[in-house]
Amino acid sequence: MQVESVDEARGLALCAAEDGARSTVEIALVEPVVPGDRVLVHAGVALTGLGA
Amino acid sequence: MRYVDEFRDPELGRVLATEILAAVEPGRHYKFMEVCGGHTHSIYKYGVDDLLPANVELVHGPGCPVCVIPMGRVDDGIALARRPEVIFTCFGDMMRVPGSEGSLLDAKAEGADIRMVYSPLDALRIAKSNPDREVVFFAIGFETTAPSTALTLKRARAEGVKNFSCMCSHVTIVPPLRALLDSPDLRLDGFVGPGHVSTVVGARPFEFIPADYGKPIVVAGFEPLDILQAIRMILAQLAEGRCEVENQYARVVPYEGNPRALEVMAEVFELRPHFEWRGLGFISQSGLKLAEAYADLDAELRFEVPGVRVADPKACQCGEVLKGVIKPWECKVFGTACTPERPIGTCMVSSEGACAAYYNFGRFAREREVV
Ligand code: SF4
Repeated sequence: MQVESVDEARGLALCAAEDGARSTVEIALVEPVVPGDRVLVHAGVALTGLGA
Repeated sequence: MRYVDEFRDPELGRVLATEILAAVEPGRHYKFMEVCGGHTHSIYKYGVDDLLPANVELVHGPGCPVCVIPMGRVDDGIALARRPEVIFTCFGDMMRVPGSEGSLLDAKAEGADIRMVYSPLDALRIAKSNPDREVVFFAIGFETTAPSTALTLKRARAEGVKNFSCMCSHVTIVPPLRALLDSPDLRLDGFVGPGHVSTVVGARPFEFIPADYGKPIVVAGFEPLDILQAIRMILAQLAEGRCEVENQYARVVPYEGNPRALEVMAEVFELRPHFEWRGLGFISQSGLKLAEAYADLDAELRFEVPGVRVADPKACQCGEVLKGVIKPWECKVFGTACTPERPIGTCMVSSEGACAAYYNFGRFAREREVV
C-alpha cells in the first residue's frame, strides 16, 4: 500500500491499496514513513517498508 | 505495478522452468514443501506446478492460519459469541470454519452478534463505539498477524478501553515445522520458506532446518517467478551439496526480521506450554497467550470459556493434508461432501487452504500436465 498521510501522534497512516481502496494502518513497526512510501500491510499493520 | 509485474513475466517464467529442468537429476524424485498457504494459492492460481518437471513434487505445509484452528477452539468462540453482552469479532475466513455444531456464521444466523473485521484495530473501534457491550476479538494467525493483535492490545490499554478483550489463538511457525521434520510419515528434500511470517521473524529462525535436519530452505515471495526461483535455488543447493537458509524474498524480508515487531510480541504474549493444532494434535510451545501484564485483556480469563476438545469428523483428512501426507484430491470427501460452499474441514475454507486452492483452480485430477 502507499502512504497518503501520516498521523504521527496516533501512530497511524492513511494508506491506499493498488485498487484505490483506502484504510487506516498502524505504522509503529515501520516508522518513520512519509507520504509516497510503500509499505507491506498485514491485518492493518505495516510490517515492512518497501521504499518510495 | 512495481514488485508485481516483473515477477509475473511469462518469458522469464519459461527461462526459469528450463533452468529447473536442467538442474534436476533424471531418476531422482524431489519432494519440496511450501510452508505457507499463500504459496499454495499462488502455485495453483498461476499453474506454477505445471512448469515443473514430473519428478519435482510440491507438498503443502501447515502455514494456513485458518486451517490449523481445531474444532474445539471454534466451539469456544461460539460459546463466547452467544453471550448476550458480547460482540464477537473475527476475520472473515474464520466465520466459516466448522465447529462441532456449526460455524460462527451459523451462530450469527441464529442471533449471536458476530461481526467480521479486517484487523484487530477495527474490533477496537467497535468496542469504542459500543461502550455498553463487551467486544471480543478472536485472534488467529502466525507471527504475521500477531504483531497487529499486540499493537491493538497496547492501544486498548493506552486509550483506557475497558470493554475490549482478546481470545488469543495465535500460533508460531517453527514448532510445527520441527514436528513435521520429526514425523516418520514424510520424506522431504527441501522447503520453500514462508514469506510474510519471515518479514516479522526473519530467516534466522529457520537455520535449524539445515543445521539439525540437513534440508535446504529458501524463503520466497508470492509471485510465480518468486516461487520458481526459490525452487531453482533449492535445486542448486542440492546439486552443489550445500544446505543452508537462503532468502529469495530479500526485497521484503530482512534476514533478522522486524525487531520492533518481535519486541512488541514479546511484551504482550507468552508461549503456551501446549496448543492443539487441527490434525496435528498438541504441539509444545507452539501457541501464544496474553502475558501476565495483559491478563485483564484476556477474554479466556474475563469470561468462562468451555475449553472443549473435539475430535475431527471421521471423513475429514485435513491432518494428512496439513502434514503433506496426502494431496487434497485423495481425501474421500474432496469436491463432493466437502466444497468451499459447504466445507467439512478447514483446508477448504480459506483461499490459502490447500483443498480450496485445488478446488478453486480445478485440480480435481490425479495427473498434472508436465512440460
Ligand atoms: S476435502 Fe475437506 S475434509 Fe477433506 S482434507 Fe480437504 S478440507 Fe479436509
